[in-house]
Amino acid sequence: MSRSDCEQALAHLHDYLKREITPELAGEIQQHLERCRPCFRHARFEANFLAMLETCAGKEKCPNEVRARIMAMLRAEAGGD
Amino acid sequence: MAEPSAAGRTFDEEALPHLDALYRVALRLTADPTLAEDLVQDTMLKAYRAWRQYRPGTNAKGWLLTILRNTFINDYRRRKHEPIAMDVEAIEPHALYRSIQETDPEGTFFAQIVDEKVLEAVDSLPSDFREVLALSDIEGMSYAEIAGTLQIPVGTVKSRLFRARRQLQSQLYAHAVEMGYIRAREKQP
Repeated sequence: MSRSDCEQALAHLHDYLKREITPELAGEIQQHLERCRPCFRHARFEANFLAMLETCAGKEKCPNEVRARIMAMLRAEAGGD
Repeated sequence: MAEPSAAGRTFDEEALPHLDALYRVALRLTADPTLAEDLVQDTMLKAYRAWRQYRPGTNAKGWLLTILRNTFINDYRRRKHEPIAMDVEAIEPHALYRSIQETDPEGTFFAQIVDEKVLEAVDSLPSDFREVLALSDIEGMSYAEIAGTLQIPVGTVKSRLFRARRQLQSQLYAHAVEMGYIRAREKQP
C-alpha cells in the first residue's frame, strides 16, 4: 500500500464515516482500511469522536413547559383565524 | 387545530416532531436557554403562519431550521457576543489523534468527557462552525440538507465542518488534559 492511499483515506475519513462520499471512493477507502492497520485505528478513533457528538443530541430536549406554551400559542393562533 | 397543507398533513404532524431538534439548534445559536426558548417559540409561530408556503414532501426539518436561523439572524444575533475564532490553520490536521495515538488510540477519553462539556466546547466555536457542526454531527443532517438549509454550497459545508471538527478536537484535547483523562504530549523537538 502506498503513502498516497493513506493520505487519501485520512483526507476523507470524516466524510467516509458520515457516508458523504461516492460509493467508488468509499469502496477504495474501505479496502484500504481493511489492509492498513494504522489507518484503521485512526478511523476507529474518529468514529468514536463522531459517536460522542451524536449522543449529545439525546441530552437536550425541548422543555415540557416550552412545548406546552407553544401548543397553547398555536391553538390561540388557530382560533384567531 | 392547524389546517392541513395541500398534502393533508397538518402543521402539528409535520412540525412538532422537530421541536427537540429546533430547541437544540436554538441553544447552539444563542448559547442561552431563555433566548433559545423564545427563538423556538417565535420560529413555530412564524412557521405556522407561513404553513401554506411549505411544500409537502420536502424536508420539514430543514424548512423549520431555515426559519429559525433567519429569525436568529434578524432578531437575536446582536444580543450575543461572538466567540473569538481560533487560528484553525495553526492546528495541524489530525493533531489530536497524533497526540494521543500512543496512549489512547481508541479515543476512550471521549466517553469520559461529559456531554455538558462537549456542548460547551461546541458552543465556544465561531458561529459559522458551530452551526454546521450542530446540524451535521449532532442532528445528523446530510451535507446536502445543511447546504439547502443554510443556502450555501456543499463545498462550503464541508470546509466549515473540517475546520469546526479540527478546532473542537483541539479544545476537547485541552479539556481532557486539564481533567487528567489523558497525559499532555511531550513537546516535539
